[in-house]
Amino acid sequence: MIGSTPEAAGQAERSWSLSFTVNGERHELAIQPERTLLEVLREDLHLTGTKGACLEGECGSCIVLVDGVPQNSCLILAPQMEGREVVTIEGLADGTVLDPVQRAFVDHGAVQCGFCTPGVVLSTKALLAGNPHPTYDEVRRGLEGNICRCTGYMKVLAAALAAARAGVADDASGQADRPRP
Amino acid sequence: MTEALELKSRLKDKGVFLAGGTDLVVGVAKGRLSVEHWIDLSGVPGLSYVREEGEELAIGPLATHAMLERSAFAPALAQAARTVGGPAIRNRGTIAGNLGTASPAGDVSVALLALDARIALVGSHGSRSVPIRDFFVGPGKTRIAHDELIQEVRIRRSADSAFLKLGKRQSVAIALVSAAVVRQRDGRVAIALGSVGPTPLRAARAEAHLALAGLAPEAIGEAASLVRAEVTPIDDHRASAEYRRAVSGVLVRRLLEQLAASSKPESPARA
Repeated sequence: MIGSTPEAAGQAERSWSLSFTVNGERHELAIQPERTLLEVLREDLHLTGTKGACLEGECGSCIVLVDGVPQNSCLILAPQMEGREVVTIEGLADGTVLDPVQRAFVDHGAVQCGFCTPGVVLSTKALLAGNPHPTYDEVRRGLEGNICRCTGYMKVLAAALAAARAGVADDASGQADRPRP
Repeated sequence: MTEALELKSRLKDKGVFLAGGTDLVVGVAKGRLSVEHWIDLSGVPGLSYVREEGEELAIGPLATHAMLERSAFAPALAQAARTVGGPAIRNRGTIAGNLGTASPAGDVSVALLALDARIALVGSHGSRSVPIRDFFVGPGKTRIAHDELIQEVRIRRSADSAFLKLGKRQSVAIALVSAAVVRQRDGRVAIALGSVGPTPLRAARAEAHLALAGLAPEAIGEAASLVRAEVTPIDDHRASAEYRRAVSGVLVRRLLEQLAASSKPESPARA
């Protein structure tokens, strides 16, 4: 996947055809090549769960999973997603049944203003996928790229550890019966 | 890669190579940079590797910080990669991009400098290899010609190495000072520091002292004070030059103490 063609130079409105998968659904879009993945997700696909805050890769609020790996969508030019699979926060719940990580965040009051939450939940999801039983320090390291300006970190860490204890990665289905507080 | 180099030689300054985008995409978003054509390398197969080849480690042009973080080849390198940004940045940002950006605060650059890395460059006129000592010219400036790409970075196996960084936070923080030390297999010790000069730098006088005096406690103390004299930090909004100078000595002393402790595996563990 190399570059835009020089022949297109000088045209005011360059268009790029992008084909990729978002939350399991295939999309074919005509976009301007300099737009970021974050912009395309929010403005073209109306998936506004992904937030833009610092727009320079510092805060983690725009994190999505690209082929299962957490990445900052503000740092990715949309054409770089050709053929890739993207998962946003909208892709976690199964209908009205929350993903176990989401459930743990709700149960532990780990959501305050909510702006950082989609990124934190996706980072947690990826962390537990790679390390189903992380230590406290491993969770801290895994979530170090997500900044919460409400500074609700303790409850976030508690939720992530609880999700791990509940065996999120081992058994994603065993979560619906968990008692609500 | 050939196609990318051809595009670059046609587009000249109007074409900009793109991989992880952790610097360039921000540059465009913040209006510091204007790009007419991106030459995106991120989908080119076969360039994303970190592999041991006998006594050497080969780092491919699309190898990310996350990949290096998992390599046990040189502890300083993995430790440096681990201090960059957060996990999502490390999953995206490439080692070659970090070198090409030539930030005086580049964490991995400091480790690679202490490890005497060799940087292979490829252009439309062929390949060449540049020792990392000659690679950095100034902030944001390197020996990469306008039509060249980093093809590979290689280091040799060393006896031991370590890296330390002081930032304002424990993560997602630019280094106020960073330092790496390497003990080569012939016993020579290399010391490199970041954020204390226009480019990552080697502490040549401190290294020369250790070559004569070894890693005895007095020698380490003397090396740390030589380092304080060798660095050329500036005052900025993050820290004063005086503070950076002091921290340079502290980091190097701690790193050398680590090397000294690990080079005596026979000695009983201290309580």
